[in-house]
Amino acid sequence: MKGLAPLFLGIFGTFAFSWVGLTVIPNWQIGHLNPQSDEEGTDIYPMPQSGMVARGARVYAANGCIYCHSQQVRADYAADDIERKWGERRSAPRDYIFERPVFLGKMRMGQDIANVGARAPAEQESPLPVGAATSATSPPQQGGAPVPSPAPGGASPSPPPPSAGSPALASSPATSPANAGSPPPGAPSPGATASPSPAGSPATSHLPAASPATSPPARWSPSPNAPPVSPSPSAAAATPGGTTSVSSGASAGGAPWPVQTSGEPPMYSAAWHHVHLFSPRSINIDSDMPSYRFLYRARRISDAPSADALHLTGSDAPPEGWEVVPTFDAKCLVAYLMSLNQSHPLKEVRSAAPAAASPAPSPAPGK
Amino acid sequence: MNATGIPLKQPSVSAAAGDAEQLERALIDASTRLPVLMFYTSAMAWLILGTLLAGFVSFKLHSPDMFSDISFLTWGRVRPAHMNVMVYGWASMAGIGTAIWLMARLSRTVLRYPLLLVAGAGFWNLGVLLGVGGILLGDSTGYPWLEFPRYAAIILFVAYTLVVSWAVLMFRFRRGEQIYITQWYLLGAFLWFPWLYAAGQLMLFVVPVQGVLQSAVGWWYANNLLFLWFGAIGLGTAYYMIPKVIGRPVYSYHLAAIGFWSYALFSSWTGMQRLVDGPFPAWMITASIAATILTIIPVATVGLNHHMTMQGYFPLMHYSPTLRFTVFGAMSYTVFSLVGVLISLRSVARYVNFTQASIAYSHLGLYAFFTMVIFGSMYYIVPRLIGSEWRYASLIKLHFWSSAYGIGLMTLMLLAGGFLQGANMENPSLAFSESTETVLPYLRGRSLAGLLLTVSHFIFAYHFGLMLLGLGRKSTVPTFLNPVEAEGPEGHL
Repeated sequence: MKGLAPLFLGIFGTFAFSWVGLTVIPNWQIGHLNPQSDEEGTDIYPMPQSGMVARGARVYAANGCIYCHSQQVRADYAADDIERKWGERRSAPRDYIFERPVFLGKMRMGQDIANVGARAPAEQESPLPVGAATSATSPPQQGGAPVPSPAPGGASPSPPPPSAGSPALASSPATSPANAGSPPPGAPSPGATASPSPAGSPATSHLPAASPATSPPARWSPSPNAPPVSPSPSAAAATPGGTTSVSSGASAGGAPWPVQTSGEPPMYSAAWHHVHLFSPRSINIDSDMPSYRFLYRARRISDAPSADALHLTGSDAPPEGWEVVPTFDAKCLVAYLMSLNQSHPLKEVRSAAPAAASPAPSPAPGK
Repeated sequence: MNATGIPLKQPSVSAAAGDAEQLERALIDASTRLPVLMFYTSAMAWLILGTLLAGFVSFKLHSPDMFSDISFLTWGRVRPAHMNVMVYGWASMAGIGTAIWLMARLSRTVLRYPLLLVAGAGFWNLGVLLGVGGILLGDSTGYPWLEFPRYAAIILFVAYTLVVSWAVLMFRFRRGEQIYITQWYLLGAFLWFPWLYAAGQLMLFVVPVQGVLQSAVGWWYANNLLFLWFGAIGLGTAYYMIPKVIGRPVYSYHLAAIGFWSYALFSSWTGMQRLVDGPFPAWMITASIAATILTIIPVATVGLNHHMTMQGYFPLMHYSPTLRFTVFGAMSYTVFSLVGVLISLRSVARYVNFTQASIAYSHLGLYAFFTMVIFGSMYYIVPRLIGSEWRYASLIKLHFWSSAYGIGLMTLMLLAGGFLQGANMENPSLAFSESTETVLPYLRGRSLAGLLLTVSHFIFAYHFGLMLLGLGRKSTVPTFLNPVEAEGPEGHL
């Protein structure tokens, strides 16, 4: 080295080369994307975040959700994310243009949640029946109940145990006979939207949501007996938010997204997220997720139980006369989670669904 | 003078060096005493805090219901707090301490403007303290490796500006025309870091880039921090300590030059491989994968150079703590880079991208390589600042072995666990929870390794504390790990 100048120039040059190459040029290439829309300028995707969602993203950042959950679906040729039903297509830069910070994530100690909002039942807004919250203090009665036995007649051949397999009830298997005949009077909408026929349960019962005590053989096997049953229209209608999950679940026999376990709010509904954040292991006994009780408040029921009160069972249930309600941060966080939805097709991304799943056309628009 | 104009003999110290030179060196060492010890002491405090946080993180991973009512003890806050304490509190401050001493020694001039450094250390501590407090209170920005909220980042930047202006000033006051290879690395590190930090802060917070590019900037920053900041300081230190302790010049300066420039060029282009198959233009990721593979060139040249320097002197590791730690670190650098190449290949990354393997990679770089080299340098430098020798050889040995076994076990556990986790994750016939359940036993193993590291850090902190309190051994002979036989190594270990 003859002198200082080459050293300084070299140090600066290598750095500048990397900076331009890996940040400036990509920024020029994909740093100024706009939402896409159809010819009429409608059907705009993605849409800017609402205030609650933006605040929820900050709660997500503050509590380090990113260290266990990714938010990106890799392409079908690169990985099995799509086969795992984490999405119908790979994620693209345009999906994230309104996100700040962006939570692509680098670790999957938990599931990918790029599409967790898309998995919610359509009527997730419908609040839990008030009765569910108050009666939660008597889990054996109420816990396994919300399976709407009247709905699918064709579902009867499948074994009832999975519906009783909620881990919250694992200690009380005796409830299964009870719930078969007694649908709760006050729970019409969650039952209709999200508890698919028990037929759907075997298909997913290898998910840990099922109690090993009740359905051990089906737990780890992708249930060969599921396909004939699950395409029933009732099952398809039962998960309006996840149409492809039903069709592909039918053909592949693999697990669609975790299916309703009885005694819980509809899977991936807002109420479900609250219970899951409050007490992850009441929903999935094998979960490693920390519980976020500090986002919730227990309070005495003043005159009428709050509509927001969590539907808790078992040891998580508050004492008689008390209820657990989400703080505003918790509501924002759940609003954020519910907003995570990349199911809208993008022009630049080929949707992998037709290849992977059955040719039955999915009702998703613009396929 | 060889063809590149670099002196061949610079680092070697013959036992017959003149008294004048010895005296000069002692003067320089004395002048660095206050700032270097400030950085070292702060770093040690952060190391202990970070270790405790790590233990908490590790155990909470297998008992997730612990303290779930307390917001600032939730896993997702303590984990980034641990990481940032280790990265900005321990590793950066200890690295700066070593770099200051090396700069003064290699510039052959007494340390000037010590107040710049003292103020820098103060601001740095304040920045890390505020940042970690902010994370625990829920102010994390949500960008991995850049979680510090903005108020802390600004203070850190001020601290850094003070340190780097000192470094440039020192460089101007250097005596002699020769610039030793260590100085290249240190100068590079001192200049790269502020640009890097400024670029990251600017593109994420001041004029934020859109969407996924935030992740690209984040990982570009994180990887360059690992390579251009920690890597450069670590390699520079190893280039000084190894020849110094064995009393023999670096094997080849041509190799050193090739190693430095290829390192600067290729390692700075890595980072995007961590986003493999993500929502990015494929060329970005491919470019980083190619760069990662090309880092084999600097790894091979640096490794070869160190190896050839050490050739025939490996038995000295039996005696010298500095050499033992440094050589362990230098070897780990090779392992770290090779693991990096392995997990960046698309066919492998498909499995391990979202698993514990990437944690193993970070630990290999930050601990097995960088921290071990810094431990080595501290064993060399601290006695020269304090004027007494390390008190117990047995504690040094304990420190080394628990560190070495701890980090080895941790890396193995995380790598093996990560590969299994990834294999299960990429097998859609298995439930997702299979993949996390698979990794749990390995995480317990990791906790065990963490215990070993905790032991090692507490031992070192105790020993360091004894030195600070003036309870070191008064002796003209350095503390050897084992009794030196007859002719033994010379007295400059």
